[in-house]
Amino acid sequence: MRIEYSPRGIFLSEIGLWLDAQEPQEACWISHAHSDHARSPHGTVFATPATLSLYRTRLGLDEAGFRPLDYHECAEFHGARLTACPASHILGAAQLLVEHRGERLVYTGDIKLRPPLCGCATETVACDHLIIESTFGLPIFHFLETEQARRRIAGFARECLDEQTTPVFLGSTLGRGQEMVHALSEAGIPVSVHGAIVHYLPLYEAAGYPVQWEPYDAESTKGTAVVVTPGLRDQLEASARNLRFAYVSGWAALANARLGARAEHLIPYSDHGDFQELISMVQSSGARRVDVVHGYAEAFARILRQTGCDARAAGVRAPEDE
Amino acid sequence: MDRFAQVCDEVAQTGSRRKKVRLLSEYLRGLSDEDLPRVVRFLCARPLARTEAELSIGHSRLRDALMEILPWEPEIVRLCFREVGDAGEAIGLLLEGFTRREPMTLASAELLYQRLYYSRRAAGKVSLLTSIFLQHRPRTLQYFIKVITGDLRIGLKEKIVEEAVAAAAGAAHDTVRKASNRSGDLPAVALAARRGRLHAVEASLFHAMDFMLAKPVDQVREILDPAIWLVEDKYDGIRAQIHASGDKVMIFTRSLDEASSSYPEIAAAVQALPHSVVLDGEVLAWRGGSPLPFFALQRRLSRKRLTAEILEQVPVIFMAYDILYLDGDLLLDTPLEQRRALLEQTLAGHGAPLLVSPQQRADNLETRFTEARERGNEGLVLKRPGSAYESGRRSGAWVKIKRPYATLDVVITAAERGHGKRATLLSDYTFAIRDGARLVNIGKAYSGLTDSEIRELTRLLPSLAQEESGRVLLVRPAIVLEVAFDAIQRSKRHASGYALRFPRIVRWRRDKTPDQADSLARVRQLHEGRAGVRQSRAFLNEPGI
Ligand SMILES: [Zn+2]
Repeated sequence: MRIEYSPRGIFLSEIGLWLDAQEPQEACWISHAHSDHARSPHGTVFATPATLSLYRTRLGLDEAGFRPLDYHECAEFHGARLTACPASHILGAAQLLVEHRGERLVYTGDIKLRPPLCGCATETVACDHLIIESTFGLPIFHFLETEQARRRIAGFARECLDEQTTPVFLGSTLGRGQEMVHALSEAGIPVSVHGAIVHYLPLYEAAGYPVQWEPYDAESTKGTAVVVTPGLRDQLEASARNLRFAYVSGWAALANARLGARAEHLIPYSDHGDFQELISMVQSSGARRVDVVHGYAEAFARILRQTGCDARAAGVRAPEDE
Repeated sequence: MDRFAQVCDEVAQTGSRRKKVRLLSEYLRGLSDEDLPRVVRFLCARPLARTEAELSIGHSRLRDALMEILPWEPEIVRLCFREVGDAGEAIGLLLEGFTRREPMTLASAELLYQRLYYSRRAAGKVSLLTSIFLQHRPRTLQYFIKVITGDLRIGLKEKIVEEAVAAAAGAAHDTVRKASNRSGDLPAVALAARRGRLHAVEASLFHAMDFMLAKPVDQVREILDPAIWLVEDKYDGIRAQIHASGDKVMIFTRSLDEASSSYPEIAAAVQALPHSVVLDGEVLAWRGGSPLPFFALQRRLSRKRLTAEILEQVPVIFMAYDILYLDGDLLLDTPLEQRRALLEQTLAGHGAPLLVSPQQRADNLETRFTEARERGNEGLVLKRPGSAYESGRRSGAWVKIKRPYATLDVVITAAERGHGKRATLLSDYTFAIRDGARLVNIGKAYSGLTDSEIRELTRLLPSLAQEESGRVLLVRPAIVLEVAFDAIQRSKRHASGYALRFPRIVRWRRDKTPDQADSLARVRQLHEGRAGVRQSRAFLNEPGI
């Protein structure tokens, strides 16, 4: 299958379908609702129903042109068969299987192998050609098992609350923010939430991940854990005292994140796969040809080539934060 | 060692000092008498008991050993080291999944360090490292290597380890600190503390002790009981502690770096003493019986290599003012007057470069202060009779009087060629302040700018020349300098009617124009003591006392 990589996204020219296009296009597959993937409106949009509703919430679009594809559901498009397959990342994330003239292509989008705290678990799909991400594609990245992460999040919160300090979790707007609110609520720890994380909580709740939370209020943080986006940190620090910061991220696998994120406690949990997860996904796909996008693409492709795989780094866009 | 690594991880994961101390002290308390000093040593990132022993294992050897095991290309491994930023951590992370995960005891860690030390050839070290890497748990290896590379990077200062040692033994932190300070051997102190024998910890030479510090006071009149003190000049040099025994001499400065190679003439003189001593004092650039300004010393220190020329241009002396150790006796708790007598006996009959700082009973402090300034020193240090040497403390038993420097922004109105080495440079400047629209001269200064600034002004000033009379070049006002001084006096010498005492250039204010220079009105205020004093940061070089 012909695949064109450019800063505008990935284009399957034979069937006229874009994957996570950065600019408006006639037809596009959106792997998940993170802003670097679901960036702009398109004529026809293929995505899972959950991704479509997050995408709509974010961009304020109407539903015209939406082509919801639930997990395992298929659609015919310009002579190809498109199937959405579960991807462990954020709510609604999916891989796309494209079958065209006897060839099977899988585009993972952002993905990990371990189940997320909220969302579905990855199902690996056999294919000939795999497009995989490599945000953490170096052998120094080892993340926690999901249950360990859940325990560590709750454990840090409890320990701080016991010492009359306020645990603060810095999380992304969409994904880890809601996951942490969910994990803390499940552990019976009161949570205050600040910033844009709030917008998506109802969608997570509707998807079956109960959350118990209060809007953040500087006067009444005592006795609650706080979940905020990193951008609100300074405001938070100006208004409250005795804060202790935890950084929940893939980057927290490295001790230098303590300085970078200005957090004392590191919890290496990500919505991306660590090195071993990425390697396992490549191996179990059986793909003979692998294109690597994002992050340490060059290095990860070299490592795959050493294992005899026809792998190359595909320049899509500059790596950005998770 | 596995538990050691786990405790280190826990210590790293909290920002609270109190909690770090608690985690460590709980761990220390549970250790055997054999393991306790070992762990304290490892926490101070010292693999071997002998302080001078070096394992000689750098990043490249570590990577060589690692490459024997890992399947990836060297460039990938290098990238990983760069991303992680710490060799021990990178090794631990990269080895995940490649080792037999066998336990490592503290005793075996020590044995491995010794084997690494005794295997003299690089290849031997690398193959030993490889076998260590293959055998143990990655997290343990992470800290095993961090001890070698010299920094655990878990937010641990030696003071925190000291505090934990004290807490583990139920001893006072201060007692532990003092014992560690005089012996330089915290591992041994930890064991002594556990056995309640801290008082028996002895001093060891060639380990820098913390300096006793003086409390600063701005004005002589702030001293309430002036008659009781013993008084010395406050020198503007580099504080130093000299350890000597037999042929060996080490000179430690405030940063506790060893600097004997910078002062060979002092080292040689101390080496000739027939005693084992630790002296406290100040290194000064010195000529003809008086100190040269601090920048002369700076010029000497800025040289990469000490040439015969610079040794001759900027000779240094050691102005000793205390003695902390003499022939086996630690003198920290000996009263000041007795230490002083021992110091004088020890250095009796010596001249430069080994001098004893003159000491007097305080009579008239104002006069003493002025005299000290006239001798080219910074001010006075007052020492309380009967006091002990309080290592690492600023207790008030020593007080320094060093008036804050007022500064003025002035405009260069004339320049002259200097003398000697500076004969080709316009290095002496006459400067003025504003009086309405006029500029009136107030002084002249020679010192303070760097050589390159003087060269730049030598090129620049002729283009501003208005008139040349003899050696003197009168220039259009354009260059603003910040000038520090000790006092303003009335004087007929300059048009302003004032003169500055000890003027020296703090810096070239390239950011200011002549109309922003200080005015005669401000000078008048300063003279009458009405203006607030601006302190110049540029003058705060390495603090002596
Ligand atoms: Zn994403």
